[in-house]
Amino acid sequence: MGRRVGIVGAAVTPFKSKWYEKTYYELAQMAVRDALKDAAITTKEVDAVVYGIYNDIFERTCIPEHPLQGVIGMQNKPGLRVTNGGATGAYAMSAAHAYVAAGRYDSVMVLGVEKATDCFDFTSMSSTPEVIKVIGWSGDSFFEQKIGWTASDSYSEVILAYMDQHPGDLKPEITAKISSQLSLQVKGNTFAQRQFDQCTPEEVMNSRYIVYPLKELEICVYSEGAAAVIFAEENTAKAISKNTGQPVIWITGMGEANETSFAGKNQNNWGRIMSHHAAAKMAYKMAGIENPLKSIQVVELHDAFVHQLEISMAEMGFVPIGKADSLVEDGIMMPGGPLSVNPSGGLIYCGHAVGASNIMSAWACRNEMIKKNYRGGLVHGTGSTICQYGVAMVLEHE
Amino acid sequence: MGKKEQKKEKVIPFGFIPNREGRFQKIGGKEYLVMNDAMFTFYERSIGEFSPFFVAMRDEKTILACKCTKCGIVRCPPFVTHCTDCNFAPTESVEVEQTGVMLSTPPVTYFANSLFLDKAPFGRGRVVLKGADTALSVMLYTTTGILTPGLIRKGTEVKIIFKDHRIGEISDIFAVPLSELSPKLASKKGVVESELNWASPVEPKYGKASKEEAAAFKKSYKELESLAKELNKSKRARKAIEGWKRNVAVKTKSGQCAMIINNGDFKVKEGKTPKVDFVLACEDLKVLLDGLNYKGAITDSVVTKKLWISKNIEFNTIFKLDRMARSLARERKERGA
Repeated sequence: MGRRVGIVGAAVTPFKSKWYEKTYYELAQMAVRDALKDAAITTKEVDAVVYGIYNDIFERTCIPEHPLQGVIGMQNKPGLRVTNGGATGAYAMSAAHAYVAAGRYDSVMVLGVEKATDCFDFTSMSSTPEVIKVIGWSGDSFFEQKIGWTASDSYSEVILAYMDQHPGDLKPEITAKISSQLSLQVKGNTFAQRQFDQCTPEEVMNSRYIVYPLKELEICVYSEGAAAVIFAEENTAKAISKNTGQPVIWITGMGEANETSFAGKNQNNWGRIMSHHAAAKMAYKMAGIENPLKSIQVVELHDAFVHQLEISMAEMGFVPIGKADSLVEDGIMMPGGPLSVNPSGGLIYCGHAVGASNIMSAWACRNEMIKKNYRGGLVHGTGSTICQYGVAMVLEHE
Repeated sequence: MGKKEQKKEKVIPFGFIPNREGRFQKIGGKEYLVMNDAMFTFYERSIGEFSPFFVAMRDEKTILACKCTKCGIVRCPPFVTHCTDCNFAPTESVEVEQTGVMLSTPPVTYFANSLFLDKAPFGRGRVVLKGADTALSVMLYTTTGILTPGLIRKGTEVKIIFKDHRIGEISDIFAVPLSELSPKLASKKGVVESELNWASPVEPKYGKASKEEAAAFKKSYKELESLAKELNKSKRARKAIEGWKRNVAVKTKSGQCAMIINNGDFKVKEGKTPKVDFVLACEDLKVLLDGLNYKGAITDSVVTKKLWISKNIEFNTIFKLDRMARSLARERKERGA
C-alpha cells in the first residue's frame, strides 16, 4: 500500500462562465499561489507537479502544461500531465498519490486548469455549441463522432438503459428535487459559477430538454477556472499541519476503472456504470470500508448530470441499484439526512472546468470535513463516453 | 478553380469561418482583447482495417461485421481484427442483415453541437442488427416529422437506410422504425433515403377563431408587448440574443404578429411583417407567452407539437428564446419581483 499520503493545502479560483480578464496561465498561477499559501509553504518545498488538463483544443495548444512549469515556479522539477476525459482531475490526483505513496516524492502539487469557453461558434454566435463540438472530438472518431456524438447523448444512453431496466427509478420529480437541493447548497460556495442561481423543483422541471431525458437545469455548466491540492507523505504532512494549524486529511483509499466503450454481448454492462462500481470497490477495500453509508459522511461527486449522480451513488453502494430515488425519498442526501452530497453545489452549480473539476471536489470535500468535523469523505470522478472512466478517492479525518 | 470544383462540399463549411479580427470586452472598467481564431488541421486520414466496412456501405449498400473464428461472436461494427475474448483469435468478415432491434431506449438530441445544429432533433442509439451480437451506433429519425421521446424505445425494430449520396463514412447510414416502412421496403436490402415517404413540414391550419378567442389573442398580445419591453430592458436577456438577427412570423388561430430579434433587441409587432426568416405557429398565442415567461420551455412546446416551426434549424432561435426567458426569470428573482 505504500506510504501514508495526506492533503495539506488546497485552493480554487472562482469558476466562471468566461474569464475574459485571465488566460489559463494566470488562472493556474492563482490556484497554485493560494494552495501554497494554504499550506504555508513555497514551491521550494514541493517536489513535483501533476497537471490535470483535459482538452488541448480548449487551451489551443497541444502541450498546454509546458508554459505552466515556469508560470508556477516549478522549473527543473518533474511535471506530468494527465488527460482522462472528465475524470482528468481525479486521475491526476491518483497519479500524484501513487508518486508520494511509492516514496518517489515527499510532496506533490496537483494542478487542474481549463479554459473551455474561448471556443466560439460564429454561426449561432454563442460558445456552447462549439464547446460541445470540441468535447465531441473526444468521441469515437470512426463510428460515432460523425453522427452527432456528444457527452450529453452518450451519458443519456447509459441513463436510459438504466431506466429501461428500472422504470420506476430516476423519476423526473426526484431529479428536479436533487437539482434544486444542489442549488441551495451552492449558496455557501463563494467560488461557484452559479452561487446565486437557486432553483425550485418546478423551475427545474420547466427548463428545456437539451438531450432527452436531460433538462437544462439537470446538467453541469461549462466553466473556466483552476484548482490545486498539495499531497504530502506522513512526516511532511504532519510538519505542515503543525505549522498551519490545519488538520491533515488523509487519503486512505484510491480506486480507478475504465470500461469498454462498445455495447452488446460480452461488451459494456449496459445499464450499469461498472467503472464507478469497480473504482469505489477498490477504494473501499484499500480504506477498509465495508458499509460506505456508515463510514462516509460527505461525498463530492462528479455530477455531470443529476440522473448519473443518482446511478453513481447506487453503483458506489450508498443506495440499492434500481432504488436510487431513495436518496431523496428516504432523505439520505436531504437536509438532516446521514449524507452530505455535493455541499459545493457540484459541477451542476459550482461549474465544470473539466481538468480542475475533480480537484475542486477534493478541495470542497476537505473543507467540509474540517469545518463539520466529518470523519469520512469520498471524492468521485467520471469521464469519457458512456461514463467509461471512474475514480474514487476516500478521505479520512483523524 | 473551376465551377465544378467550387460546388464540391468542403470539409469545413464556409459559414463557420470568422473574419480575422478582434474586439474589446470591458470588465470592471478595463478593456480586454478578444481575438477571432481557429485551430485547424487537415487530414488525409487512413481508414486502415475499417476500409472494407466503409467501402461496402458506400458501394454495395451492405453492412459488414467480424466473426470470431473460435467463439463465433459477431461484432458490428467490426472494431477488432482479433477476438479479445479468445486470446486474440482471428476474426473473419461476414455480412449482417439491415434490420435489428434497439439495445436500449435512445436519447434524442435537441441541443446539438455546432456541426449538427441543422440536423437536430435526432436520436442516436445502439442497434443490434440481425446476425450480429454487438451494437452499432446509428442516427435515428422518424419519417413522420419531429422525433419525440418514446417513439423509438428498447426493443423497437429499426431499418438501416442508406443516404443517396454516400462518401464512405458512418454518416452514410441512419435508421428509422421498421413499422414506418411499406412491407416492400421493410424487406428490401439497401433502401436509400429518397425511397422513403418523408412527411414534409406543413403549416398547421387552425380554422376560424371565435369572438372569445379573438379577444383572448388581443389580451395575450398586449401581455406579450409588455413582456417584450421587459425583456428588452434586461441585460441578461439581451445577452442571450446578442449577435442574433431573426424576423419571426407568429401565426395563431386568432391573429398574427411578429418577433423581431436584432442583436440584443427584442420587439414584437402586430400583424404581418416583411422578410420573414421562419414561421412559428401555435393555436393559442398564450403558449408562446408562457414560454417567454418561463412557464414551460418553448423547446418542449415544439417537441410536444404545441408549437410548429417551419425550419428545424431554427431550434437555434428557439433555444435563444428559452435562454432569454430564463435570464429574465433569474433577473426578476434577484430583484425580488
